[in-house]
Amino acid sequence: MEFKDYYQVLGVGKTATAEDIKKAYRKLARKYHPDVSKEADAMARMAEINEANAVLSDPEKREAYDALGRQAPHRPGQDFRPPPNWDAGFKFSDGAGAAGGPDGEFSDFFEQLFGRQARAQRPHGAHRQAPHDAAWDGAAPPSRGNDHHAKIELDLLDAYQGAERSLALRGARLDAAGRMVHEERSLQVKIPKGVREGQLIRLTGQGSPGTGGAPAGDLFLEVHFKPDARWRAIDRDVYQPVAVAPWEAELGAVIAVQTPAGALEVTVPARWKSGRKLRLKGRGIPAATPGDLYLELTVALPPAHSDAERAAYAALGAAFPRFNPRAIPGA
Amino acid sequence: MPSAHDTPAIQPGELLDEAAELTLEDLARICHMAPGWVSERLEAGLLQTDGPGGHWRFASATVVRARRLAQLETTFDADPHLAALTADLIEEVARLRQRLQHLEAATGNAPARG
Repeated sequence: MEFKDYYQVLGVGKTATAEDIKKAYRKLARKYHPDVSKEADAMARMAEINEANAVLSDPEKREAYDALGRQAPHRPGQDFRPPPNWDAGFKFSDGAGAAGGPDGEFSDFFEQLFGRQARAQRPHGAHRQAPHDAAWDGAAPPSRGNDHHAKIELDLLDAYQGAERSLALRGARLDAAGRMVHEERSLQVKIPKGVREGQLIRLTGQGSPGTGGAPAGDLFLEVHFKPDARWRAIDRDVYQPVAVAPWEAELGAVIAVQTPAGALEVTVPARWKSGRKLRLKGRGIPAATPGDLYLELTVALPPAHSDAERAAYAALGAAFPRFNPRAIPGA
Repeated sequence: MPSAHDTPAIQPGELLDEAAELTLEDLARICHMAPGWVSERLEAGLLQTDGPGGHWRFASATVVRARRLAQLETTFDADPHLAALTADLIEEVARLRQRLQHLEAATGNAPARG
């Protein structure tokens, strides 16, 4: 287990006031907020910042952490084991700022130091759920495990067919002493068909384990589709660009199109209109009320490489002497 | 070679807006907030529900938004309306980014870096 220097994480000195800590926390929370940050490690940094704030903004936890530092000085990242009875004389209560990250996930270091009580005490504040009345008697009251949240990238085809995915998760379990132990685990997940962009998939019981016989939390996966030049989805409707030849566009044709709903034969009506979309009802993302598939037609011009092909274009031009592609409609 | 016994069980996922429904208490728990926090934001129109009065039904987008509001309010001690305005802007930016991504994918243009 690595020692964590929470002061270094927040960029404040050991003599920082509560106000200094609040300011530093908010500044970093803005910088690494997962919705706005462009930093690659924003989520990990945010979790680290939340954890540091959970300790340093709580006077009792901060005092215990400072005392630990005096008893057993360590450098950040150095291997660390808390000395026996390091927390004797401290009773951590539910303090402002001790909420932790949005998913309630903390490092092994935090769990070793504050784990049982912190879980029992989270969350806090006027609107926070009422904390359990946990005295430091070593036994947390029954408490449902925390829910976990993650994002998952899928192909649009997965929404049509359903899929199975293997997820690598950093999970947790309770050891024989009742302490939370982090562990890597993999999870095979069945993705139901019909899933949409932004939708949540719930995996019951795959969050943190509960304590005292209470149930485990759930894992929520937020779905995002990988960008794909072939098609895109807006809610349950799917949009697919399809190129047609000039003669198909103007004379009409039956064309074969490979769509996410499979290979289809589609009738292109005669007389081309710019921006034409063909709606295939019910061929969007499957559901009780499925979405529609829109084929967005564009005209592709064949390149003229040979003399015969160039002659064909010249003949086309000669056949339409009054056609002016730059004419302004209505002028 | 792993035996059938070693093969991890496949966990079935429930689609939140289809098979699974969340109660107001579920939503509050997911946000690490009290049920009253959710009720207040519903009454103020900062969160939406699909269901008729008395039977709450929360869409995935509402869950994501509620977690965002809770995080903004908690981290910055933000006024609920200010947090909602920030969430509106974050959602709008996400919509525009998605549109841009679609356009880039459709036209084959590399994303602008800056």
